[in-house]
Amino acid sequence: MKRRDFLKYLGIGAGGLGAGFVLGKASNPPGAKLIPYLIPPEDVIPGVANWYAGVCTQCNAGCGTIVRVMEGRAKKIEGNPLHPVSRGKLCARGQASLQALYNPDRIKGPMRRISKGGDFTGISWEEGLEILSGNLAKLDKDAPGLYMLTPPLRGHLNSLVNGFMAAFGSPDYFQYELFQHRNLIAANRLSASLSEIPYYDIENTKFLLSFGADFSSTWLSPVNMSYGYGRMRQGGQGKRGRLVSVEPRMSLTGANADEWVPARPGTEGILALSMAYEIVSQGYYRGADGGAWKSVLARYRPAEAAKITDVGEERIKRIAREFAETRPSLAIGGECVASYENGVSGLVAVNVLNHVAGNMGIKGGVVPNSEGFVEGARRPDLKTDRISTLLKSASEGRVKALIVYNTNPLFTAPKALDAGGSLSKIPFIVSLSSFMDSTTAAADLILPSHTSLEDWGDDFAEPAVGTPVYTMNQPAVSPVFDTKGAGDILLAAARGAGGRVADRLKWNTFEAYLRESWQGLYKRNRAMASSAPTFDEFWSRTLQNGGWWQEAEEPRKRAVYVSASGAGPHLPQSPSRFEGDEKEYPFYLVLYPHAGHFDGRGANLPWLQETPDPMTSVVWGGWIEINPKTAGGLGVKEGDMVTVDSPSGRVQLPVYLYPGIRPDTVAMPIGQGHTEYGRYAKGRGSNPLDMVPAKEDGISGEIALNSTRVKITTSDMSGEMVKMEGSTKELGREIVQTVSPEEFEKMPKDAV
Amino acid sequence: MNETGPIGIIKKLVSFAVVGAVAFFVGYRIQGRYFSGRTPAQPIEFSHRIHAGDNKIPCMYCHLYADKSRVAGVPNVKRCMGCHAVIKTQSPEIQKLAAYWEKKEPVPWVKVHNLPDHVYFPHKRHIKAGLECQQCHGDVASMKRITRVSSLTMGWCLSCHTKRNVKNGRDCWTCHI
Repeated sequence: MKRRDFLKYLGIGAGGLGAGFVLGKASNPPGAKLIPYLIPPEDVIPGVANWYAGVCTQCNAGCGTIVRVMEGRAKKIEGNPLHPVSRGKLCARGQASLQALYNPDRIKGPMRRISKGGDFTGISWEEGLEILSGNLAKLDKDAPGLYMLTPPLRGHLNSLVNGFMAAFGSPDYFQYELFQHRNLIAANRLSASLSEIPYYDIENTKFLLSFGADFSSTWLSPVNMSYGYGRMRQGGQGKRGRLVSVEPRMSLTGANADEWVPARPGTEGILALSMAYEIVSQGYYRGADGGAWKSVLARYRPAEAAKITDVGEERIKRIAREFAETRPSLAIGGECVASYENGVSGLVAVNVLNHVAGNMGIKGGVVPNSEGFVEGARRPDLKTDRISTLLKSASEGRVKALIVYNTNPLFTAPKALDAGGSLSKIPFIVSLSSFMDSTTAAADLILPSHTSLEDWGDDFAEPAVGTPVYTMNQPAVSPVFDTKGAGDILLAAARGAGGRVADRLKWNTFEAYLRESWQGLYKRNRAMASSAPTFDEFWSRTLQNGGWWQEAEEPRKRAVYVSASGAGPHLPQSPSRFEGDEKEYPFYLVLYPHAGHFDGRGANLPWLQETPDPMTSVVWGGWIEINPKTAGGLGVKEGDMVTVDSPSGRVQLPVYLYPGIRPDTVAMPIGQGHTEYGRYAKGRGSNPLDMVPAKEDGISGEIALNSTRVKITTSDMSGEMVKMEGSTKELGREIVQTVSPEEFEKMPKDAV
Repeated sequence: MNETGPIGIIKKLVSFAVVGAVAFFVGYRIQGRYFSGRTPAQPIEFSHRIHAGDNKIPCMYCHLYADKSRVAGVPNVKRCMGCHAVIKTQSPEIQKLAAYWEKKEPVPWVKVHNLPDHVYFPHKRHIKAGLECQQCHGDVASMKRITRVSSLTMGWCLSCHTKRNVKNGRDCWTCHI
């Protein structure tokens, strides 16, 4: 070897050695730090999870939850296994409430608008509460003009808000949410004298007839009902329960049904009554007032109803007979029958059907809940406490100050109601929301409240499970940002107002108020009092279990009676009306809550945006469902953007070809199209509520979502629809292999 | 070796590359074996020899979660001050501790036993299985400055699991969950 080569080798060798050393050093950086606690917090063992019981607030079902907390951080939420509503399960929306807690677009502290129409600027809590108290003090003592708007609260926050308003001498406490079930409450009050929504015992029924009640995704109490549905289908002894679904657009529940009955939109109530007529006229009805029912129902003979509803006469009769013969059976009425401008009458019709088939007040039927409402709390007066009433007062200048908590009418009320215009007339709006939703963005002062994982609270599930369910919520984690509990904000405002108001709301914290209220419950309720010897023990046990409920094997029986004379006047006289001329606007518009975003509140949580819709698999955006035949006629294909016009407004959306919808109907999910609400929701898709006319049910005041026709034209706007599925067809791949029950019976047993 | 022309140049380049790669590997290993901070300097010159050796304080008096949790736990500053508010307050090292306590700051200890995130190692199970702390951590009672005596590599884990015939001890999911 030459000396020159030797030196070269030496150089390369030394260089390589050095490079290896340096890279090794760089890839194993020294000094991961081991940071101890300064003073260890109580109850915390690093690496070991604590579980705190609470209540989910992503919808109104009132599911009990347990939150896994490690080193003070909430990591996971599950259903509380002891809780009778959630029974250890939780839906995707509940799971995603973690992302509400840690959401990067949460309002991180109090803010004030610099000038009308100007930007927000951060302020301290002292300053914020001073502004609030100052504005409340300015109100006239006799006609305060103080208005309050919250979602339909059921726990002691409701009674505190009610007490707050009473202290200010204001009767104007409104509760609003898009899916408030006011129609269901009204129908049960009118026809069955039930003051609360009863428990629909899906678990124990053998024949479930759903009128558009999509309990698998959003209706009423999805977790409890889906669990019950699973048991009804395969968990019980004997016959597997049957499910028939009446709805113009096949929902997830409809897709699970044995039979899908796409009745003409707006005629579902009449269909229910024609079945009731068949049941009574065939002698299945056991009551003494059969004659009265026969005359009330005479107008709904299946032969005529078949023409109105677009469901064959024989089919109506067959389902009716099966419904009456199968014991027990149960009919439930969801959005597809309730969301019309005569929604209450449709739900009364469903009650009548249940009554004549003998399903009222029995196991596996409609089980009344005993009264469990909180003392001092306010239930909305269906006549006066309407969002339309509030907006009218606002536009007439009667609202001097409005406090809004966690409800977003600027997004969820139809655009035709012009909520924005009405609210702009209010001189002082305070929002207690933790998120910059459209309504909060229109406020003058933002005092951000905790999310449910940081706050105290309670909830009284409605529907419960035949016995009352009182759920307790405790803070699982310390506040992530500079927020306060909604109850604490109101109590602080009352202290700031001084005088009579401060005297009536003397509690220092909402926790103290809650504890004292529960002490009252404990004293009054004998079953509660006998469950623990002292209140302190009862309280700690309640926090540990996540609430209080009775372990009743058999739900308490209470006779529920629907009388022909009582229900008769409230039955649907004709099919529901739809805005728009049939020639110009050829399609019925059906809107439904998105499985993940519900009324739009879930759209700011990326997990829910990312979760494919169960029927279409679309993610991160909206769509319109059109029957392939109709689409062929219109000359549009999947993914094309179309313009949808109703007499009240216009939206643009991509087309999803959906065989599970009537050719004369189009459907859209509600939930997207936010103009505010953080980076994940803002400017994504369009809001179909922009097309909904300003109509409501005359009796209940519930907004009539399905009350317009639309027309569809092709649009040259560019848009994208992202979905998980490649094709809805199997293309001979035998991915889903099926066998009919008859074939299954004949198959040799070793083949299965 | 006296070849010239293109083949000779290629041969020479290949042998350069081989020498360079071997040297790189050796350098990498030398760093890992002898310079990887098995005995890093700590913000306070804490001596296990004084505490666990001379004064015979049991391990779990300070590392109090070892039998309850995944982590053994490093003593909180309040616990240190529990004794050192009165003991050896004149020592410069204890004054450093007191300074942290005054500032209400935790002591930023440097980690000696560090496992990657994809390894699930529970102290609790190993204590329950009857292992002594010293089996993995060495004779801590004689260490002035704490040093890592075990490699903490997967082979090291598995050799013990095999020797002790641990149930599911060679299953991937036992540690990589």
